[in-house]
Amino acid sequence: MQRDVGSFPLAPGLRAKLIGAGFQTAQELLEIGPCELSKEIGISKEEALETLQIVRRECHSNATKTADDPEAVGKCTALELLAQEQAQGFIITFCSALDDILGGGVQLTKITEICGAPGVGKTQLCMQLAVDVQIPECFGGLAGEAVFIDTEGSFMVDRVVDIATACVQHCQLIAETHQEEDFQKSLETFSLESILSHIYYFRCHDYTELLAQVYLLPDFLSEHSKVRLVIVDGIAFPFRHDFEDLSLRTRLLNGLAQQLISIANAHKLAVVLTNQMTTRIGQSQSMLVPALGESWGHAATIRLIFHWDNKQRLATLYKSPSQKESTIPFHITPHGFRDVHPPPPSQTPAEVEINPRKRPRIEGDKQ
Amino acid sequence: MICISCMFHKTSIYRQSPGSVLTTVLYQDMDWDQFDMNPKVIAAVKKANIKSIKEILNLSGADLQRLTKLSSMDVQCLLKTVSGTLRKSCMLTALQLYQDKDHCTSQHQKLSLGCSVLDSLLRGGIPVVGITELAGESSAGKTQISLQLCLSVQYPYEYGGLESGAVYICTEDVFPNKRLQQLIDQQRTFRADVPLDVIQRIKFGNSVFIEHAADLDTFYNCIAKRITLLLLRGVVRLVVIDSMAALFRCEFGAKDSVMKARYLQTFGAKLHSLSSRFRTPILCINQVTDTVDETDVAQSNFGLLDKKVSPALGLTWSNQLLMRLMASRITQSEQSPGGALQHTGSVLRTLSVVFAPHLPPSFCCYAVNLEGVKGVKVKTPL
Repeated sequence: MQRDVGSFPLAPGLRAKLIGAGFQTAQELLEIGPCELSKEIGISKEEALETLQIVRRECHSNATKTADDPEAVGKCTALELLAQEQAQGFIITFCSALDDILGGGVQLTKITEICGAPGVGKTQLCMQLAVDVQIPECFGGLAGEAVFIDTEGSFMVDRVVDIATACVQHCQLIAETHQEEDFQKSLETFSLESILSHIYYFRCHDYTELLAQVYLLPDFLSEHSKVRLVIVDGIAFPFRHDFEDLSLRTRLLNGLAQQLISIANAHKLAVVLTNQMTTRIGQSQSMLVPALGESWGHAATIRLIFHWDNKQRLATLYKSPSQKESTIPFHITPHGFRDVHPPPPSQTPAEVEINPRKRPRIEGDKQ
Repeated sequence: MICISCMFHKTSIYRQSPGSVLTTVLYQDMDWDQFDMNPKVIAAVKKANIKSIKEILNLSGADLQRLTKLSSMDVQCLLKTVSGTLRKSCMLTALQLYQDKDHCTSQHQKLSLGCSVLDSLLRGGIPVVGITELAGESSAGKTQISLQLCLSVQYPYEYGGLESGAVYICTEDVFPNKRLQQLIDQQRTFRADVPLDVIQRIKFGNSVFIEHAADLDTFYNCIAKRITLLLLRGVVRLVVIDSMAALFRCEFGAKDSVMKARYLQTFGAKLHSLSSRFRTPILCINQVTDTVDETDVAQSNFGLLDKKVSPALGLTWSNQLLMRLMASRITQSEQSPGGALQHTGSVLRTLSVVFAPHLPPSFCCYAVNLEGVKGVKVKTPL
C-alpha cells in the first residue's frame, strides 16, 4: 500500500505526470476515481482507468505474496482433504436406503445428477432436498438455504408446502421424544413460512436465460451465504431443441458444468441437476439412456437413475467415486420422498376405493 | 438503470407475463451504449461486430477475449452486466409464490373442469402454465372433456374460469359443433353453482375458435402465427389440440424416429413458450397404442396400473409434458355385479392421473351425460 508510485509498470510520461501532480504512494492513487485522476493530471479517462487498474492489480498480487498462507496458493495435503470431507455434512433425503447408497446423503461440493423418465420422481426428490437442506443442525441437517432454478415449470408450490409441513412435523416428533432445550429453540425458527422463504426460485425459459442465471449465481451466493444447495430442474429441457449445431451445445454444456463445479467448490454447496432419458437404438434392442449425450455424462460426479420395475420405483446409483453401484426401492408419499415399508396391498381401481392420501408408515413414527 | 423499452422495438405486451418481454430482448440488435459498462468494453464489443445478447452468451469467456481483445476481468464484467440485464428482478421465494393470490400471477389459479369431483382429483383443475395431456382409447370421453373445458374457461375467475375463450385445433376429425351447441344449451343446468345472470351474459359460441391443421407444417404455422395472434389479443386462454398423434401417424415410419423426435421437441418447446408467455393452459389430446413388449411396459408406462395400452408418441413427447391424464372405459369384467358402479344408463369411465408434480397417482370415475362430463363418487361395499 505504501509502495512508491514510481515503481509501477506505467509509461514514463505518465509516471512523471503523477509525481508532478503530487502522488507519492499507491494508497493515494487507490483512493480516487478515474474521472478525478484524469482531471488532475490531464490525461484521458481511459488512460486514467487503465492506470488505476494496473495499480490495483499490482497491490493485490503483492498482498497475496506476502501472506504466508499456503491456502492462498491452493495447496493442501490429502489428509487435510479427507478431514474436510468427513467433517462436511450431507443433505439427507428422508429415504434412508437412498442415503445409505449415497454414503450419507447428497454430498456438498459435488454435482449430483438425477436421471429418469417423466413422472418417476426427479422433481419430487429435488423439492424434498430443498426442504431437507434447511433442517436445523441439532436434527442432523445443515440449516442452509436452497436455490431452485426451474426450466420446465414443474415447481408446484402446493407440493412443497406438503413436503415442508411433513418435515416440520417429523422434527416436532423428534423434539418431543428428546426434550432438550436447543431442540425446542430451533423448532421456533423452523416453520413452514421460514422454509418457504429460504427457497429462492428462478424460472428460466430457455438456455440463454439459464446461462445468464448461472453467470449471476456467484454474486447472488455471496450475498446469500447460507445457501447450501443449488437445484437445476431440468438441465436437459432447454438444450434439447433449437440446436442445429450440436458442437455449440456440447461447448455450452461443458462451460455450464465447469461453472457449476467451481460454484459448488467455492461456496461449499451441493449442486443437483435433473436430466431426461432418451432412447438409444442398439443392434437388437433399444435402451433408455440419460439425455444430452456421452460427453455430458462426465459433468456430474454422482449419477442416480430412477426407473420403474412394474409398479415399484427404483433408484440406481450409477456413477459415484466412492460408493458402489446399487439399486434401492423408494416411494413417493403425500409427505414426500420416503423409504418403502411393508408394501400396501395391491389394489385395482375397480376393486376398492383407493384413498390416494393413505400413507405408509414413515421411519420417524416408529420412535 | 437501463430502460428496457428504449432498447428494442415496441412489442405488444398486452397480457404477457413479465419474463416473456425480456425474451425478445435476446435476439434484438442491442444498443450497447445504453449499458452500464466501461466505454472501452463497449467499443470492443461493437468492433467485434457482436450484435445481440444471445451472441454474447453463446460465446465462452475465452472466445470473447479473443474476439474483443479485452482482459479476462473485463470479459467477466461484460458477461455479468449482460446477464444482469436479462435477469433483473427474476428471483422469487417459495413463500412469495405460495402467498401470491393475484389471479394474474398465482400458481393457485387453475382452470376448473366445471365439476367439483373432477376438480378435487386435480386439486383445483388444469394448471394454467404447462402442457397437460389427456390420453385414452377412442370413445373414452377425451373430446367431451375438452369441449367442457372450452366452456368452463369462459367463466369468471371466481367460478374457476379464465374469463376468455378457447382455440380448438383439429388435426383429423371434424369439430363436433352439434355437441358443443348441446353443451352450451345445458350450461345453466350443468353449472348450478354459477348464478343465472352470469351464465346468460357469456356468449359461449363466440369465444370458441376452431382451427384445422392436417400436416406438420400447417400445424407449426398455426401455433406459431395464428394462435400467437389470438393470444396476443387476449381473446383465448386455452389451447386444445386434438390430437398430436394424428399428425405423426402417416408421415413417419420406424426409421424416421430422429426426425419425428425433432418435430416433437420443436412443437413442445413452442407450446411451452406460448403457455408461459401468456399463462395459458395447453391441453393435448393423445391416442393410445397397444404395448407390444413387456420391457416397453416397464420403461414407458410410468407405472400405469395394469395397462395394455400406452400413450402414443413415446418418450420424447412425454418429456415435454407437465401432467398426464388418462381416460378409459371400465370394462364389463371390472364392474361389480352389485350395481354399485352402474349409473343410470351411461357407461362409467375413469380419469386417472398418471403423473403430475403436485398430484399423487389417483383416479376418479365419471359419466358423460347430456349436459356434460360429471365425476361420480363411487361407493363400494367394504
